[in-house]
Amino acid sequence: MDMNEIKEIFFQECEEQLAELESGLLKLNDGDRDPETVNAVFRAVHSIKGGAGAFGLDDLVAFAHVFETTLDCVRSNRLEPTQDVLKVMLKSADVLADLTNAARDGGYVDEARSRSLVKELEALANGEVPAPAAKASDPVLAPAAPAPTDDGGFQPIPFSFDSFDEGEAAEDGQTYEISFRPRRELYTKGNEAALLLRDLSRIGEMSINCDAGSLPEFDKMDPEEAYFGWTIQLTTAKSEDDIRAVFEFAEWDCDLEIKAQEASATDDELPMIPVPFDLAALDEGDAASEAAPPANAAASEVVAAAETATSVSKMAAAAARVEKKEAAAASASATAAAQNAAAAAAAGQTIRVDLDRVDRLINLVGELVINQAMLSQSVIENDTTGTSSINMGLEELQQLTREIQDSVMAIRAQPVKPVFQRMSRIVREVADMVGKSIRLVTEGENTEVDKTVIDKLAEPLTHMIRNAVDHGIETPEKREAAGKDPEGTIKLTAKHRSGRIVIELVDDGAGINRERVRQKAIDNDLIAADANLTDEEIDNLIFAPGFSTADKISDISGRGVGMDVVKRSIQALGGRISISSRPGHGSTFTMSLPLTLAVLDGMVVTVAGQTLVVPLTAIVETLQPEASSIHSFGANQRLISIRNSFCPLVDVGRILNFRSSQANPVEGVALLVESEGGGQRALMVDAIQGQRQVVIKSLEANYTHVPGIAAATILGDGRVALILDVDAVVAASRGQSLKPEMSLAATG
Amino acid sequence: MASKKAAQESLTLSSVLDLNEASVLHGKLTELRGRNLKIDASQVERLGAQCVQIIVAAARAWQADKKAFVVEKSSDAFEKTLQLIGLDPNQLTAKEN
Repeated sequence: MDMNEIKEIFFQECEEQLAELESGLLKLNDGDRDPETVNAVFRAVHSIKGGAGAFGLDDLVAFAHVFETTLDCVRSNRLEPTQDVLKVMLKSADVLADLTNAARDGGYVDEARSRSLVKELEALANGEVPAPAAKASDPVLAPAAPAPTDDGGFQPIPFSFDSFDEGEAAEDGQTYEISFRPRRELYTKGNEAALLLRDLSRIGEMSINCDAGSLPEFDKMDPEEAYFGWTIQLTTAKSEDDIRAVFEFAEWDCDLEIKAQEASATDDELPMIPVPFDLAALDEGDAASEAAPPANAAASEVVAAAETATSVSKMAAAAARVEKKEAAAASASATAAAQNAAAAAAAGQTIRVDLDRVDRLINLVGELVINQAMLSQSVIENDTTGTSSINMGLEELQQLTREIQDSVMAIRAQPVKPVFQRMSRIVREVADMVGKSIRLVTEGENTEVDKTVIDKLAEPLTHMIRNAVDHGIETPEKREAAGKDPEGTIKLTAKHRSGRIVIELVDDGAGINRERVRQKAIDNDLIAADANLTDEEIDNLIFAPGFSTADKISDISGRGVGMDVVKRSIQALGGRISISSRPGHGSTFTMSLPLTLAVLDGMVVTVAGQTLVVPLTAIVETLQPEASSIHSFGANQRLISIRNSFCPLVDVGRILNFRSSQANPVEGVALLVESEGGGQRALMVDAIQGQRQVVIKSLEANYTHVPGIAAATILGDGRVALILDVDAVVAASRGQSLKPEMSLAATG
Repeated sequence: MASKKAAQESLTLSSVLDLNEASVLHGKLTELRGRNLKIDASQVERLGAQCVQIIVAAARAWQADKKAFVVEKSSDAFEKTLQLIGLDPNQLTAKEN
């Protein structure tokens, strides 16, 4: 494991902590006042700060420190977490996430925003001690920064980071005698005494005496041993805790004594060298050296292994300290201790595994399933009695394979929570931009789905959320005029339904303006001017390519991509999307997605001599049509009558161009499928071979996209079978309304 | 780093003198033991306490050997760090006699 890997683990943990942070803040925003929620939020920021400190991510540490200071005020009931306060904190959480991303892969950070939030946080902190870890170049609080609270319960006390540069005005400060003797571990864990002394010098006026008495002779010394110790006289307005905070990550690896002194006792006992520091020069030096790669790269490599080991222990030590500190802070509260214990227990029960390894395992299990199917097939072919012990053993093997497969799939299953949380940030930011007040309510965020699905879900969902905020929800004025709550609500829910995950996005906005949609569709040549469409069909027009009802292109949703892109992304995931809208009451988008993209339960059918697999989730029922129930309709359309209703009959072989003329429905089997618009279609196939779980093999990755076909699989006899894209086939059969799908019939 | 020139040697210190560099620096100085030495610290951008320990111990050793040990050129960062950790630059000097 090299340094980068450890750093990567840190960033993974950051992601978790950021999620904790956000969900905690949202809970507080909803009125939760459980001290443990506040503690969890504080812990999250503190852990990020701790880890970032270990890796020298100064910007992140500085911001996290200010954030943490403000959270500490909330924790100690000095600051009431009002909506306004939480608004600042939620924004700060966003900036913290940006800073983390920037540290990870150089993502963008809006520095002006970060600076203004530092100011706001400081204002909120009610004059709490400024951060020793903050950089001298950090922004200064505007003296008259208004405290964005509505309780009027406190006055902000401005403070300045600049004072670090000039040395504290020490007239009314306290003098401390600090004895600091690092041990070897302090250095091996990546800390540096010189930097700690520099930080110390920033919080007051300092004179220092270096004790080099224990330095052995040159040839007897161990270059990595700690021989120097220091006695420091520090005059500062800060408290002893602030001094200890400088040694926060080193306290366990040094002997540290801090004694408050009588002012008169200063300078007498030890021959001190008063040191007027030019910190700006030092900072520059540091910045330069951090930017420049170490000159002796080879040497660094050699020590990298040792460094790695120590960094791990440092991270562990930091984590342990966080817990210790937490426990101490909440010693009165038994619940906090219980929480820590629970967290520790939970941590012991999970391991981090590289996704590649899981994927490899899934692939292998997929091969095992195929292999087992092939074995079964050949046994069946060679064993006519069907009762031999081999046959029974095979059944057990099949059962076991299935269980292994389910268990492996469960490893990849993840709750949708992270994606949902990302959406709350988008709602916040976009609502701010367009001047609307919108609340995002999430439900069922622990619903699990395959990681691939989650990863691919974020983009379409982001687009839909943006749309809902920008176009769906009205402005507060319009809402009030319509007798609604000026604050709009967007509800995002996830649930499992018949082997799929269903995600619903409901807004309480104005709903779809059908007149305008219809007119736009006519203007854009999507439908004929006299087309007679149902409300549902009009609503679904918004998924048509190139369709946008926004009168003006906005920064938020008018990016040249429309809901057709969303629809295509969802379809690419093997999902369906539909919309229902009530004018004046809002719209509901419903997405139904498969739980995994690796396997699928399918019905194996024969069409014109070809073997196809139809996803079982799409099939409502199967039936053997009788001649009397088939009705001709128009030139070459046919309907089948099922329980007193008519359903269009779709000849799969014809749509896919497997045959040139329509097959006789009475000789085949009809699969009744639910199409995305909610209507039903009867797909005609020649025969049903059986039902089985198949391993999905991407056609795009191995061949190329074939219209009407979603993917491929390998059957027990080793042949490749195509998996039908039911929605594409249904759309192709539907007729004139949607052009791209029309081309499917022609090219397919 | 070290250039042979009669009995006078010179050593240019690396730009980063942190934990990783401590043993390397100790090794280099050990090789130069017994000769008059000029140190060029003008490239130093970051100086850790452990490398300072080595330089101080070396200055004492050179003093004991009665060889010259002089920090001839030094960067701002080098000087500031020495100040910061409470060392007099004279402690890094040994005279030949």
